[in-house]
Order: sequence, then C-alpha cells, then structure tokens
Amino acid sequence: MSSLGRALGVLRGGAQMLGRGPRKLVARRAGGGPHIEAQYRQLPQLTKNQVFQSELLSSAMWFWILWHCWHDPDAVLGHFPWPDASQWTDEELGIPPDE
Amino acid sequence: MAALRAALWARVLSRTKGHGLTNMLLGARTASGISKDILPGPYPKTPEERAAAAKKYNMRVEDYEPYPDDGQGFGDYPKLPNRAQQERDPWYQWDHPDLRRNWGEPIHWDFDMYIRNRVDTSPSVVDWNTMCKYLLGFVGVMLALFYLGDKFPAYQPVAPKQYPYNNLHMERGGDPEKQPDEVKHYEI
Amino acid sequence: MQTLIMTSSMMLIFAILLFPLFTTLSPTPQKQDWAITHVKTAVSTSFLISLLPLLIFLNHGTETIITDWQWMNTSTFNIHISLKFDHYSVIFTPVALYVTWSILEFASWYMHADPNMNRFFKYLLLFLVAMIILVTANNMFQLFIGWEGVGIMSFLLIGWWYGRADANTAALQAVIYNRVGDIGLIMSMAWFAMNLNSWEMQQMFSVSKELNLTLPLIGLIIAATGKSAQFGLHPWLPAAMEGPTPVSALLHSSTMVVAGIFLLIRLHPLMQDNQIALNICLCLGALTTLFTATCALTQNDIKKIIAFSTSSQLGLMMVTIGLNQPQLAFLHICTHAFFKAMLFLCSGSIIHSLNDEQDIRKMGGLHNLMPFTSTCLTIGSLALTGTPFLAGFFSKDAIIEALNTSYLNAWALVLTLIATSFTMVYSFRLIFFVTMGTPRFLPLSPINENNTSLINPIKRLAWGSIIAGLIITSNFPPMKNPIMTMPLSLKMAALLVTLIGLLTAMELTHMASKQMKTMPTQTAHHFSNMLGFFPSIVHRLIPKLNLILGQTAANQLIDQAWFETTGPKGLASSQMKMAVMTSNTQQGLIKTYFMTFLLSTLVAIFLTTI
Repeated sequence: MSSLGRALGVLRGGAQMLGRGPRKLVARRAGGGPHIEAQYRQLPQLTKNQVFQSELLSSAMWFWILWHCWHDPDAVLGHFPWPDASQWTDEELGIPPDE
Repeated sequence: MAALRAALWARVLSRTKGHGLTNMLLGARTASGISKDILPGPYPKTPEERAAAAKKYNMRVEDYEPYPDDGQGFGDYPKLPNRAQQERDPWYQWDHPDLRRNWGEPIHWDFDMYIRNRVDTSPSVVDWNTMCKYLLGFVGVMLALFYLGDKFPAYQPVAPKQYPYNNLHMERGGDPEKQPDEVKHYEI
Repeated sequence: MQTLIMTSSMMLIFAILLFPLFTTLSPTPQKQDWAITHVKTAVSTSFLISLLPLLIFLNHGTETIITDWQWMNTSTFNIHISLKFDHYSVIFTPVALYVTWSILEFASWYMHADPNMNRFFKYLLLFLVAMIILVTANNMFQLFIGWEGVGIMSFLLIGWWYGRADANTAALQAVIYNRVGDIGLIMSMAWFAMNLNSWEMQQMFSVSKELNLTLPLIGLIIAATGKSAQFGLHPWLPAAMEGPTPVSALLHSSTMVVAGIFLLIRLHPLMQDNQIALNICLCLGALTTLFTATCALTQNDIKKIIAFSTSSQLGLMMVTIGLNQPQLAFLHICTHAFFKAMLFLCSGSIIHSLNDEQDIRKMGGLHNLMPFTSTCLTIGSLALTGTPFLAGFFSKDAIIEALNTSYLNAWALVLTLIATSFTMVYSFRLIFFVTMGTPRFLPLSPINENNTSLINPIKRLAWGSIIAGLIITSNFPPMKNPIMTMPLSLKMAALLVTLIGLLTAMELTHMASKQMKTMPTQTAHHFSNMLGFFPSIVHRLIPKLNLILGQTAANQLIDQAWFETTGPKGLASSQMKMAVMTSNTQQGLIKTYFMTFLLSTLVAIFLTTI
C-alpha cells in the first residue's frame, strides 16, 4: 500500500513538472561567445575578433607611448634644463675681472 | 494535554513541598564538568593494564606510551608525537579530510594547538636556526643601515629661494613700518 | 548649485549601492541572475553618476562637507554623520566604482559555476559600500566603520571556499593581522578623543597644532601597517591569494589594501610636522618595498607574484607618505588600481583556461593561444614598471623624482631604487614564463577567452591603464610645488634603474635557457622563495608559545599554584612545620621547660613595659 502511495507521489511530481511548462534557463556566462571544441594537441583556434582586439590594444599602447615620446619628450627628459654652474661666466655673474 | 501535564507537575511540587525544591537543586548532577567515562583512567603500571589502556585508546601496545606519572593528572592518556595535522598526508583518504584525521583515532593532548590552522610542524627546507639567523640578520642589517643612512642623508643642495621686493616682505603680510634692511647675497 | 548637484549625486550613489543590499533582506531568495541585473547595474550606474561630481570638481574645484545628522552625543563629545567630498574622495570614488564594475562583470564569468554567486556579489557590494564610507568619512568614527567593514568583508571573501583548510587559514591570518593594526587605530582614536576632544577631522587638525602627536601617529602607522601589509604585518596579503581571483583583484590589490595608506593621507595634516613619524613611514615603506619585491622574484604562483608586487607598490606609497608627499601617494593609489586589477583579471583568465593551474612553470606560449589576455598582461606589467606615458609612469616617476630631490635617509633611497629595478625583473619573469616560449601545460586545456563578460572588463581596465595616468595627473592640481628642474641623471633615475632590471632579467633568462645545475640550492634563494622565512618563523613560534603558555597557565598555574600550593597543600605544609617544632620541644627536659617559662616571662615583661 505504501509503495503504491510512493509511486503515486512520484507520478504526481512528474505531472507537476510537466504542467509547469518550459522553465527559463539561466544564462551560463562561461558558455557564451564562440565556443571552442575540446581540443587535444591541436593548433590554437582563434577567432578573428580576438586577434583584432589584442592587436588593436597593443598598437594603441605603442601609438600612445610613441606619440607622446614624439610630442612630449619633456615628461621623460625633464622640462627645464638643469643649469650647469661651472659654465657660467664671470660676466653673467657680475663679477668684475681679477685685478 | 498540556493542562494535564501542568497539573501533574503542580501535584509533584506540592507533595514534596518544603525540601523538594532544594533536593532538586542540590541533588542533580551539574551539567558542566566531566563525567568519569571521559576522564583518563589511572596510570597503567602492569603490562596488562598497559594493554588494556592501549586498547581503550584504539592504539597498538607498541605505539602506546603514557605520560610520565608525575602528578600532572594525565593518567593513562597516551603521549602522542608532537606533530601537526598539517604535516599529514594530504592525498590519503581521511575520514575527516579537513582535520586530516580518522574516526576513532586517539587525539593529541594538545590537539587544539596542532589543528591545521595553528601551529605547523612540517619540516622546512631550511632548518630553524638558519632561518632565524637569516631573518634576524636581514632585519638587523637593514636597521643598522637605516641608522647609517640617517647619519649620512641624501639630498640635493638647494639654497632657499630668493624673491625680489625684500623677499616679498609686504606680500607676506609684514609690517610696512619695519622694513628689514635689504640683504645682500653677494659681495664684490 | 554646484554644491547641491555634487552632494545630491554623491547621496544618490549611496542610495543606489545600498538598494540591492536592502532587497536581500527580504526572505524570498533572489533570482539567479540577481547578481548581474541588480548588483552590476547598480555599480555601473553609480559610476556614471559619480562622473558628475568629478566633472564639477575638475571644472570649478568644488569641494564640500556635509554635516547633517547628529548621531550621538555625550555631555562633551559629539559624533556627527559627516561626509567629506574633497579632491581625494571625489577622484577616488569613480576610480573605485570603475574598477569594481569591471571586476563584477569579470566575476560573473569567473564564478558562474558557484552555487552562491548572489551571495558573493552581495559581499563584494557590501565591501564597496564600506570602502566608499571610508573614503568619504569626515570623522574618525565613520572612517572606523568603513575600516572595519572592509576588514570583515575581506575575511568573508578570502574564506569564500571555506571547505578548504588553507583558505580558512588565510582568512584567519588576514583577520588577525588586521586586528593587530586595528588596535593601533583604536588607541589613536582614544588618544584623540581624550586630548583633542573631537573626532571631526577639521577640529582635530586645528586643535592639535601645539600637541606632541608622536604617540597617536605611531598608532596610526601601526594601523596602516596592518591594513596595507607593510613589513612586519605583511604575510596575510600573499596568503589572501587563497580567495577567488576577483576578490584578489578588488580587495587585495586596488581598493582595500590602500585603505591604510588612505588613512595616512587623510590625516596627513597631523603628520606633516612630525619628523619622527615621517621617518618611520619612510624607513618602513622602503623596507617593505624591497623585502616584498625580493620575495616576488622567486615565486612560482602567478597570483603570488602579483600579490607581492602589490605589497611592494604599497611600500612605495608608504615611502611617499614619509616624504611628506601625500598627493603623490594618492596618485599612485589611483593609477595602481587600474593596472593591478587588470593584472589579476588576466591571471584569472589564464588560471581558468588552464584548468586552475597557477604555477607559471606550467604555462608558456600563451601569446599564441590567448592573444588578448597576453596583450593585457603585458600592458599591465609595462604600466606597473613605469614605462613612459602608461598609467604607472605618471605616479611612479614622480615619486622617484621626489625621492631623488628630497632630503632623506640615504639607505631608504637605495632600497627604493633597488626595489624599482626588481619590479622590472619579476614583471619580465612573469611575462617570459606565461606568454613567451613553448607551452608546458597539459595538452587538454579548455582555452577560451572569447566571452564578452571576460573580454570587456579587461579591455576597459586596459584602456584605463594606458590613458588614466595622463588624465588624472593633468587634472589634479598639485598642492605642493613640484621641483621644476633637476639634473638629467636624477630625472632619468627611475627609467635607468628599470632598464638595468630589464637587462638583468634578460640575461638571467638567457642563462636559464641553457642546461645548468638542476636546482638552486643557495639559502639566499630559499630566503626569497620562502617569503624571507618570516611566516615560517612567526607563524610557528608565536602560536606555539601562546598556546603552550595558555595550557600551562590553565593547568599548572591555576590548578597547582592557586588550588593546591596556596590552598590545602600550603596550609598543610606550614601547619606541619609548626606541629613538628612544638612536638620536638616536648622531650621531658626540665631545662627546656624552665627556659621557655623564662623566655615567655621576659617577653611579657617587655611587652607590658614598653
């Protein structure tokens, strides 16, 4: 008797599941995007977008560095020249010539 | 039902009126404290007692070694090696993998000290003395050199900046009446 | 009008960030995508809103303080809720929100399989709120709330995988080391409350002018040492890498660990005239930056290398505080947040792709397989080493220039320069082992970086690492006159030292490509590889001493000394002595009895006559 009841319970559960209709699947983030087949000792399969993105970023970095090096080298080399005191002449310092 | 039980309790209390309450308070064993079963037994003196104690602690007689009987109250508790749980094999199928311990295994007297979050006794690549020497040496040398560096600081020699108008006397809120004399920084 | 917009948008940020937290109080469980729809959206919206006060600040220099609500008061001591939107908080809030936004998006990819992802996001959000409370606090009490908030969230997040004993140990280490620092903060706060009678920052600054502040400042430095992992309280930071990678990226690189430095920046007016405190900061920072850079040189775990580089950069910030240049330290905090968060995200991407492999010896050749991640890893490393015009350059170069031109401890200068060159060495080692050469990982690896929620955050942070330095420095007016001119050798020192590091590293990799001795066996190598032996010694000695002492105190001291020696046993032994003496005199000798009579009579006479 009890086994019959249990079987009925299972059936009832199944019927409820069927009646609930298709459930909305939760987005699985890691599965999105171009899916790559499981690979074993194969050449890398890269998408064009991926390569383009990486090259865009690295070229942007080099462009940024070089453009600034060209237009703004002062930031690296110093904005104002350091005065070399040994090069100053007596005339500039206002020292009269030795008698 | 509940009312019936309350009535029963009331009857019991009223029957033992007088010293019933004190009996209940004093006669009951305290919930705290350790029962006799949990406390270690007396120190084993004969080989038979040793064997019985070893069996009690789920140990082989060869491994069983009680604490010395010097009045510390260890009784027949086994003296296990001072090894941390962290030192045990991580790949063995322990019954409690997080404690690295099997069910029914005797517990070290200082088990709380040797759990995996606390003292680690696993052997290190470098021995203890060398480690201490290196670390203390490093810190000592650094402190000594910081002291030296403090004695001989690094700096760029710079003179204080000179400004016109008597070093901005008025601009800095000086008293116009008391103009200090013009300072000459040169002499010809 | 500007002030109104500024304060209201800042309050709006708080409201938006708190809203998802309040919804979690409802007993019905959240939807599965709550983390993305609510938390991430809230953070990105707040970031966009926080741009408004930033723009107002940049255009007009508006800074405001709002004190509206009196929280509690005793007869002489008031605590207000008081928020401060000055240049530090107005600039740091968008940076923190931007970094957090990227990291949350990354976490939605990295933690997708975690059954408790919603709780994870909730923790991260709660952490972010605590961080913003800390940054905008205008009194010590609020700052303390934020301080403890980030501390406890760090504990919960490091121990996220609580089934692993190692993660639990790491979480406990973090919380215990942080508590040591907190004691310093609490003591200082008590001192301020007692001597300055206020926790409001403006009042503290103005009242404390004539007082000797060395003692509370040392407390604050201890607090910063704990939170920012300076030498002595540093081992928790590399241990914290047991947590999930987004946690490492957010807490242990870009935001929480800089809280200690931020505390010193905030309270800098107390410190600027105290030479002792400044010297301690300088030496502590220099020691930290060198020590942790040395440890980073030989680590094999990719996350540990980045963690140690974080610790080294924190040391550099501490040096800057010691130089009396809090603004430069703040600049370094901001630029560092971008590239360090990105480095961690890249390492997370790599670890995920290689089936949870963290050992850089088992990587290699990834620039072919994961071009995007390798690109960003390289950009991040270059920014970290201070390559000109990337983010790190603007702060790091300025710090080294300030070092070179200041009057300071010579050894601190030397240590910092050595650490700067070490930065290049370990960064190059990281790139060399991870992206260059031939693959050394298992041939069956699910390498895939084509996912928008992985690529976008890294991309955002990469752009940030490239241009953020220039944007922040050019919009952030310095409060102190920078040194305008200096000899070329000093100006170029940072670059030169870095280049020397690069050449050394390349030479070393060249040597490593040949077959040499099998394993390095020198103790010096072990010193670096085993974190300077510091954890091995301290983590074994101190708990053992404490626990053994506790055991002895509990068993021997209490039981034997108090209950036995002073109690029954002591009584018995003293009674026994007297009993033996009395019985020994009773031997039937008349002389003894007469002598006793005489003596007692004499004593009686003496006592009565006096």
